[in-house]
Amino acid sequence: MWGKGLVTGLKVTWGHFFGKKETVYYPEEKLPMTERFRGGHLMLDVEKCIGCKVCAMNCPNAALKLTVEMDENKKRHMTSYVHDIGRCMYCDLCIEACNFKALKWDQNYESATYFKEDLIYDAVEEAKNRRDGNE
Amino acid sequence: MATTEKFVLNMGPQHPSTHGVLQVQVELDGENIVGAKPVMGYLHRGIEKLMESRTYQQCVPFTDRLDYVSSMNNNLGFCMAVEKLAGIEVPERAQYIRTICCELNRIASHHVFIGSLTNDLGSATGMIYAFRDREKILDLFNIICGARMTCHYIRIGGVIADAQDEFLQKTEEFINYVPEMLDEYDRLFTGNEIFQKRMQGTSIISKEDALRFGMSGPNIRASGWDYDIRKIDKYGIYGKLDFDIPVGKTGDNWDRYIIRLQEIVESAKIIRQCLDNMPEGPFMAKVPKMLKPPKGDAYHRVENTRGELGFYIVSDGTNKPYRVHIRRPSFINLQALDHMCKGMVLADAVTAFATIDPLMGEVDC
Repeated sequence: MWGKGLVTGLKVTWGHFFGKKETVYYPEEKLPMTERFRGGHLMLDVEKCIGCKVCAMNCPNAALKLTVEMDENKKRHMTSYVHDIGRCMYCDLCIEACNFKALKWDQNYESATYFKEDLIYDAVEEAKNRRDGNE
Repeated sequence: MATTEKFVLNMGPQHPSTHGVLQVQVELDGENIVGAKPVMGYLHRGIEKLMESRTYQQCVPFTDRLDYVSSMNNNLGFCMAVEKLAGIEVPERAQYIRTICCELNRIASHHVFIGSLTNDLGSATGMIYAFRDREKILDLFNIICGARMTCHYIRIGGVIADAQDEFLQKTEEFINYVPEMLDEYDRLFTGNEIFQKRMQGTSIISKEDALRFGMSGPNIRASGWDYDIRKIDKYGIYGKLDFDIPVGKTGDNWDRYIIRLQEIVESAKIIRQCLDNMPEGPFMAKVPKMLKPPKGDAYHRVENTRGELGFYIVSDGTNKPYRVHIRRPSFINLQALDHMCKGMVLADAVTAFATIDPLMGEVDC
């Protein structure tokens, strides 16, 4: 009978109308991120970092701009670690390249900004702020 | 006496049913289509050229951005081509994980096909159903590699991380859900009379024409050719698996839709076999960090969700490819658009785009 399929389809949609919700109320309710989730800002562990710049060398899009200074004992210190999210592909190659596991994602997926300049940040500064905040 | 003249209508690049930034110049005689000319290049990023200035490992994330709804398959194509060039042997466990991911990705990509097709035919509800189920697969990818669409999970020599038990268990749950999911699609779309009337007998590509256009993937199979690279080349572990190739008869829009539904069943069958026979062992071969394949060239093709995806790589012995050429199935399938639209009415042009299933990231490259 012509129209039987239409009625069957309507039954499906009505069934879901009274069924369980598939979505969450986003800003109030957030989905948990997985352990391996790639996204957000880079968290640099300044204690572990030796300033070898391998992460920047592995970046396919040159999203990392690092400045390293050498002290009188010829020890290298990372003075700035500028990450441009606008250029970042979140490919994870920087983190995988680090032999000292000094880098990880902060897993914050709400990285949209009003201005383009806000996409650029300094991971060393953020590490300092985190440390100051904890003290 | 009243005279009429032909009218050229620009569909796109911002038209909601052109799946990205495709512009189609449709020549109309009243409501009937005389010709449809696709205009491409709005999404051209020069990926082939970009790859020439990146190391082999750095090239892999760029392949994610070709066909961004089936990135795992693109990763696989590129990595297998480099492995062929450098003579790298991939561990067996990695091959199984790769196959699971690629087939899950094939299902997710077909969800996008079903969703966008129903949306283009005027049923926005249909899209929500397909995308709801696609979400389940994207969540699985989020567990295994930390990304949902641009996965960058398959690497040269294997996969970057081992599949966790959580992933394998949830994959099995999804595979158990597939029959129920397809049953719901059948009740919602396949049995719908309007849906059938719009699709059956429209935009027919005959068996000869499909070959003439060099089509591949589900589109050529819908026209009656039993052509699947997974069966022909038996790359990876596909030779060990038992699955069928669904083949259509008439090559109309309806066949192209049904083929994809059947392919979801076959993909689920493949994943189940992989889960049952998954061996233990390493997931990554020993690959030098500075990979320098010997001088020479290699071509490797895989069955992407849209057809035959081939990577041709020329190496000059350094750590960067000298030249990469990508044979993109969407680009070649799109040639048939003019043929499919001729003689149809304007509303059918939208169905024709949807059933070719082109993805502009891949067309423009």
